[in-house]
Amino acid sequence: MRLLAALATLLFAVGFASGALAHAALISVEPASGSTLATAPEVVELRFNEPVTPGAIRLIDGAGRVRDDPRVSASGETISVAMPADLPEGTAVVSYRVVSQDGHPVVGSVMFSVGTPSETKPPASADHWLGALIWLARVGLYLGLFVGVGGVWFARWISRSLTGTTVPRAALAVGLPSAVVSLGALGLDLLGLPPAALATAAPWKVAVATSAGRAFLVAAAAMLFALLALRSAWSSRALAIIAMVGVGLSLAMSGHAATAPPQMIMRAAMFLHGLCVALWIGALAPLAALLSKPTPATLAVVSRFSGIATPAVGVLALTGLVLAIVQLEKASALVETRYGLILSIKLALVLLLLALAALNRFRLTPAFARDRGAQVILKRSILLECVIALAIFAVVAGWRFTPPPRTIVPETPLAIHIHSDKAMFQVLVSPGNVGKDDFVLQLMTGEGTPLAAKEVTLTLSLPERGIEPMERDASLGPDGYWHVRKVELPFAGRWRIRIEALVSDFEKVSLADEVEVPPP
Amino acid sequence: MSKRSCLILIAALAASPVAAHVSLETKQAIIGASYKAVFTVPHGCAGSPTVKIRVQIPEGVIAVKPMPKAGWIIDLVEGKYAGEYDYHGNKLSSGVKEVAWSGGKLPDKNYDEFIMHTVLTDRLKPNTTLYFPVVQECETGVSRWIEIPTEGAGHSHEGKSPAPGVKLLPKP
Repeated sequence: MRLLAALATLLFAVGFASGALAHAALISVEPASGSTLATAPEVVELRFNEPVTPGAIRLIDGAGRVRDDPRVSASGETISVAMPADLPEGTAVVSYRVVSQDGHPVVGSVMFSVGTPSETKPPASADHWLGALIWLARVGLYLGLFVGVGGVWFARWISRSLTGTTVPRAALAVGLPSAVVSLGALGLDLLGLPPAALATAAPWKVAVATSAGRAFLVAAAAMLFALLALRSAWSSRALAIIAMVGVGLSLAMSGHAATAPPQMIMRAAMFLHGLCVALWIGALAPLAALLSKPTPATLAVVSRFSGIATPAVGVLALTGLVLAIVQLEKASALVETRYGLILSIKLALVLLLLALAALNRFRLTPAFARDRGAQVILKRSILLECVIALAIFAVVAGWRFTPPPRTIVPETPLAIHIHSDKAMFQVLVSPGNVGKDDFVLQLMTGEGTPLAAKEVTLTLSLPERGIEPMERDASLGPDGYWHVRKVELPFAGRWRIRIEALVSDFEKVSLADEVEVPPP
Repeated sequence: MSKRSCLILIAALAASPVAAHVSLETKQAIIGASYKAVFTVPHGCAGSPTVKIRVQIPEGVIAVKPMPKAGWIIDLVEGKYAGEYDYHGNKLSSGVKEVAWSGGKLPDKNYDEFIMHTVLTDRLKPNTTLYFPVVQECETGVSRWIEIPTEGAGHSHEGKSPAPGVKLLPKP
């Protein structure tokens, strides 16, 4: 009986195991995978060697969106994926999961480009209106911080009266909404959303999560403190100090300069730089206002300001020099890069401002001390300083759009090292970002000697976007490395990379790892 | 039903979904005994007919005798074993390392079996799986059934083209 039962089970198993079942294999794709087409195809046809049942078929279009509107129809060996009419230009991916007759899923991805492949298009964030909005809001923010907060501090600590605070008040009124707009625009820029999305929480949440977003919040808080400091209370002087510290903090928290190494020095430099700008520029408008209706106290105020302005300008120049040296790395970058050009223009304006300040300090202030009639010239000179300061803000706000030369590095390929007992694979992906990439594979044994292989294949998948494995054969170059050229990586994300090396007819070494492909 | 046959049933059922691969018909064998290795070839390479089957003989498998097959030529590659094995009183230090059937043509829509007689020496480790890597050559293309799971990798990550394997049972 036992024997019979065992025999029966074996027969059962054999009956199961010997059915002539096969996995389906993809034979052809129309349009061919990797092709570039002038216009969007109406349909993508996947032909298999046997009838298949479509499982999940996903279409990700050239704009990186997952489409839910491709119509999938199957007839026998062919699966047709009808493309939506509004397929945008760029690289589209059709990721398929079909079920072969034996019930096994067969997966893979094919891709084609409409018009130009995705990486040659300008990035989606190049919305001109958004760029202009970000720039305008930045200028408004500088006005609020330097003219507004600086002006309030001047009123509380230098002039000790609220005379001439009309301009700082107006600057704060501009600066506060500018901080909010900056925050919202940052969120839109990060997510690539239209302005209508400001009604939703998403862009705000994203923006607040960044250091730049938090810097905007600190800036807004500084301006609020400055507004409070305008009310005459016992604490107004302390509030003005807090507001000034907030100005420095908001600048030191974020941005290219503050985050450059060595961070301790750079952040401190940025803090002092911002503080001194507010000290100096904030004083200009109230000074001009005071000078238009001079009182006997005005001379004392002007002298007090001169006393503090000179060291402030010194600190400003010194910290500016430190920041510029770190950011530019070499003097030629002043003219060779957009960042450097902006700095050059700023420096020219600053020199003009310094000349005017020197004129005020060493000629016009003493003249004013001797002769009250000199006030008109001094006032004009100060107004001119205001105009130049505004121009500097406008120029400096342009830095938002230019990376400093320090961060412009020649495109560094992604390097991955995969290691097991049997083998070590060194993989270089260049340029290492979204678009077409070249893979160089260096195969070594576990001991580090070259590993001879007959065939090498590279398999890539992006599970998080539903991109099923794409297989590419590598070719052995004269350099002894294996190459896979022009591999389309249509999306940023954590790609799974698997390399299989056929060492002998019967032996395959395969190693897998993940690589983070950064967004463009 | 005894516990043993129950286990066999479970093992057989668990093994059956790999039907789409080139595989061994008998999934279990006892070491220190002879084993009739039946390689089942369920299909060609993505539709193309099979023209050659090459099987690598793993270390510890001796006395390999392929069964002749009408329409197919058998080629044997002999070489030195890593160890020395006792076979009916004789010391064997070399023997068949690879068996190849060629010259025939097996259409994709047909099924066939390639058979060899072997002896599994008691030097093999019980309760492990012994793999026979197979290269299936077709009119167009090649399928290599050579993937051997690394130890501890688990069964969840089944390779795309696993090598046919047989579970080794200890001597009763």
